[in-house]
Amino acid sequence: MSYNAGIMTDLHLGELEQIVLLAVLRVGSDAYAIPILEEIERQTGRRIARGALYTALDRLEQKGCLRSRVGNPLPERGGRARRYFAVTPAALRALRASRDALQRLWRGLDSVLEG
Amino acid sequence: MRPTPARFVERLLAAAVGDADRADMILGDLHEEFVRRAARSTSRAHVWHAAQALRLAIRMTCLDRVRARRPFHDHQKGDTLMTSVLADLRYGFRSLRKRPGMTAVVAITLALGVGANATIFNVLDRLVLRPFPFDDPDRIVMLSETGPGIEYKKEAVSPANFLDWRRGADTIVHLTAMQWWDANLLDRGDPERVPGFQVSPGFFEALGMSPALGRGFVRDDETFGRHRVVVLGNTLWKRRFAADPGIVGRRITIDGEPYEVVGVASPRFAFPEGAELWAPLAFDPAKPVTRRSRYLTVIGRLAPGRTINDAAAQMDVMAARLAREYPDDNRDHGVATDTLTAGMMDVGLGPMLGLWQTSALIVLLIAAANIANLQLARATERRREIGVRMALGAARGRVLRELFTESLLLSVASVPFALAFAWLALYVIRIGMPAAIVRFVPGWESLGPDPRLLAFTIVVAVAAACLFGILPAAQASRSRVTDVLKDGGRTATGRHRLRRAIVVAEVALALPLLAAAGLSALGSYRIMNGPQGYDPSGVLTMKLVLPERRYPDEQSRRSFAARALEAIDGVGGVEHAAAINKLPAGGSTASRVIEIDGHPAPDPNNPPAVEYRLVTPALFGVLRIPIVRGRAFGAADREDGAPVAIVSESMAQRFWPGEDPIGRRVRVRNGQWMTVVGVCGDLIQDWFAARNEPTLYRPMAQSPTDSFGIVVRAAGDPSAIAGGVRQALLRVDPTQPVFDLKTMRRQLHERTIGLQYLTWIMAVFAVLSLLLAAVGLYAVMAYTVAQRRQEIGIRIALGASARHVVRHTVGQAIRLAGTGVAIGFVLSVLVGRLMEAGLLGVASSDARVFLAFAGVLMLSALGAAYVPARRAAATDPIAALRE
Repeated sequence: MSYNAGIMTDLHLGELEQIVLLAVLRVGSDAYAIPILEEIERQTGRRIARGALYTALDRLEQKGCLRSRVGNPLPERGGRARRYFAVTPAALRALRASRDALQRLWRGLDSVLEG
Repeated sequence: MRPTPARFVERLLAAAVGDADRADMILGDLHEEFVRRAARSTSRAHVWHAAQALRLAIRMTCLDRVRARRPFHDHQKGDTLMTSVLADLRYGFRSLRKRPGMTAVVAITLALGVGANATIFNVLDRLVLRPFPFDDPDRIVMLSETGPGIEYKKEAVSPANFLDWRRGADTIVHLTAMQWWDANLLDRGDPERVPGFQVSPGFFEALGMSPALGRGFVRDDETFGRHRVVVLGNTLWKRRFAADPGIVGRRITIDGEPYEVVGVASPRFAFPEGAELWAPLAFDPAKPVTRRSRYLTVIGRLAPGRTINDAAAQMDVMAARLAREYPDDNRDHGVATDTLTAGMMDVGLGPMLGLWQTSALIVLLIAAANIANLQLARATERRREIGVRMALGAARGRVLRELFTESLLLSVASVPFALAFAWLALYVIRIGMPAAIVRFVPGWESLGPDPRLLAFTIVVAVAAACLFGILPAAQASRSRVTDVLKDGGRTATGRHRLRRAIVVAEVALALPLLAAAGLSALGSYRIMNGPQGYDPSGVLTMKLVLPERRYPDEQSRRSFAARALEAIDGVGGVEHAAAINKLPAGGSTASRVIEIDGHPAPDPNNPPAVEYRLVTPALFGVLRIPIVRGRAFGAADREDGAPVAIVSESMAQRFWPGEDPIGRRVRVRNGQWMTVVGVCGDLIQDWFAARNEPTLYRPMAQSPTDSFGIVVRAAGDPSAIAGGVRQALLRVDPTQPVFDLKTMRRQLHERTIGLQYLTWIMAVFAVLSLLLAAVGLYAVMAYTVAQRRQEIGIRIALGASARHVVRHTVGQAIRLAGTGVAIGFVLSVLVGRLMEAGLLGVASSDARVFLAFAGVLMLSALGAAYVPARRAAATDPIAALRE
């Protein structure tokens, strides 16, 4: 319990950050900005600003939630490379922790929220 | 070749992102999506790309950092956003204060550029975008017939077609027709001609006007016989009825008939064209409703849930049906469905406002170029400092932002000046319009500052700063550190080249503006002062419309005209008076289809028509229209005399080429034959529509009319006799109003007011652009001289004379200006062509105008270069070399 609490204070994830991390997980090994953006839109029906995504990716990498690697230069990108993102184990733990916390909070509230 | 995104957009974004790896990722993503989108539409892909890049750039440079409450760059712990922004502002202020003269000049010139744009924006906004103060103006539609011979959207629907439309349309509610109905009002005090309209029930509801008193019109009001009811305009109610709250139900006399007042319109409601009186449009069941004459203007409100496309589709179907059912009148006729705003817009307004807005943008470009120039100079001076800072690890974005802050400061400083300029300009523009014309320009009275203007001004000022501040800043911060440190920051050829290019561009843009202004001034001058074919000086004009009830037949009208002219002739200071059915430059004309005896029309389906004038004998003398052959009309040309006519020279040439028209016969279709007794000179009826049109004149006594103008030649100042003439006419008939009483010069002034506005506003733009270009040239030369102080010092030390130095410096300026003028000359020729095409033949390209203004530009370039050149010549070689 104390371990979990430690993670949560270290790695507090905002809503957008959780969305981005989950989208990266869903896209899989080829997750770069464009499919991530598309996945978020597909699943949440919400269009997030491109700039917000880049900021979030940046912050998540700085916080150690994401790792990135640079692919090969591609002609359709004007000779630039893609940057692929992957979720780190620490971020997975943080995601789990926040899901658990939410589930605890949800418990017993079904009758209130379903009416 | 595969499309790629615009390079400069990418560069801008890269500069904003700063970090190279991050920029690579973002640019790559955008590139990839761009390629996908370009497969569908390249142009859309470009727009999308630019928009995305702009949003990202804005976010990367400021928003993100503000939201994250992070310092812009953590090159030093504790350097928070707030402190770094404050530092930037301080830097900006300090560096601007270091050169107060230049700062003031740039801020004020920017203010002029922004203010000019704000002014034109307001005109465009009020006149074109939202001229009518109604709720939901986009849901009010205007319907007009289209077809052969229909040029305008107003007054283009025949009554029978309107009634059929109204029966069939369910996409439009409150479909209502209106018809011009200026009426003679006689009630308490002098008779007055009041602008009014006859409208169908639903008119006020379509426009969303709820009456201040009483009611609008109901269906029963258009039943012929029960239609003598009126709604008074709010201003009319206050002016003539002292805002009497019990006015509803009272009877007033209009055109000699009693009308019952049923309502008073809400304040400020004066649609259309400044109307102050509305009555129901009723059709006499005894007469067939015409389908052939088209004179109604039809408006309505879209039914709830329907769009203008629904309405247009339904109207198209209906028009097609009516064209089949009534092929004689409706063949090839369709219907146009526009918003009220689009339908009512004056056709001449578009090109004119387009020209103004373009000119304003050019002025702004020139002003903003001056900012870019200043920035480049600053960046060059600080090149070494920036180089050192970057070598020590300062972030490029941080340096960029600092330079950018300075441009932003300048633009913010210019906003109050720009607003003041716009406010003043709009005031002058608004009050310059004669009251008689204002009613025909919807939205004119509302010209003036408002929140939209304020927002526009700020946006334009900041946009100018962004465009022209960020590029030089980006360039400066991109300097290769090693280069800068190596050469000591003394030479910067590339940047010099950019600054010179900017000056060349300024001059090249200023010349076409000057040329455009010159062309419109010349055209306008010709129209105002050129030969009119008659002598408008010393003449007073007025109009009368005789009500049918009081003057029902020819005899009564003939006798009124004779008595009226006689009475005017008796007024002191009057030389002679005459009557004519349509005054020259009076804004309306009349024409008739004619037949020439012995010359049948070559195409019987398309018989010739000529301008048609009914005049009293004195007219040719009063207006000094020369009789070139034969005789003028005389006292003998009465109703019982032989029918006679006078033709204009152009008519004589057209119908009797190479023959003598005197003694020939002509008639209005189905009328009686008239013998031509004289040929008179041509005149310009209207500069825009009818110059030197073939015209047929008849003695008014042989065909009296109920609506005519009177021209009076005064012995002295024509405006001095206006009061006497009015009194004389009131003595003839105290119930008969006289309107549009003004001098002929005034009338010409009002008819050509649009042209004068065009000229004056273009002239202001031209002067501004000339001024700004000269300032730009001065700045560049002053700066170049300052930069080359050492070199000039050496030259002087080696024996160069002051004259030589001056000549050298001025020569440089002349080369720059000359290049600009050469480019500008080509642009001017293009602009001249465009103006010729767009401005109804007012302007015609004239190479002399272009050359003259090219000379003016070169002279101002000389002036702008001379001061810095003198300063260069005064360089003290010893002091310069020691630096």
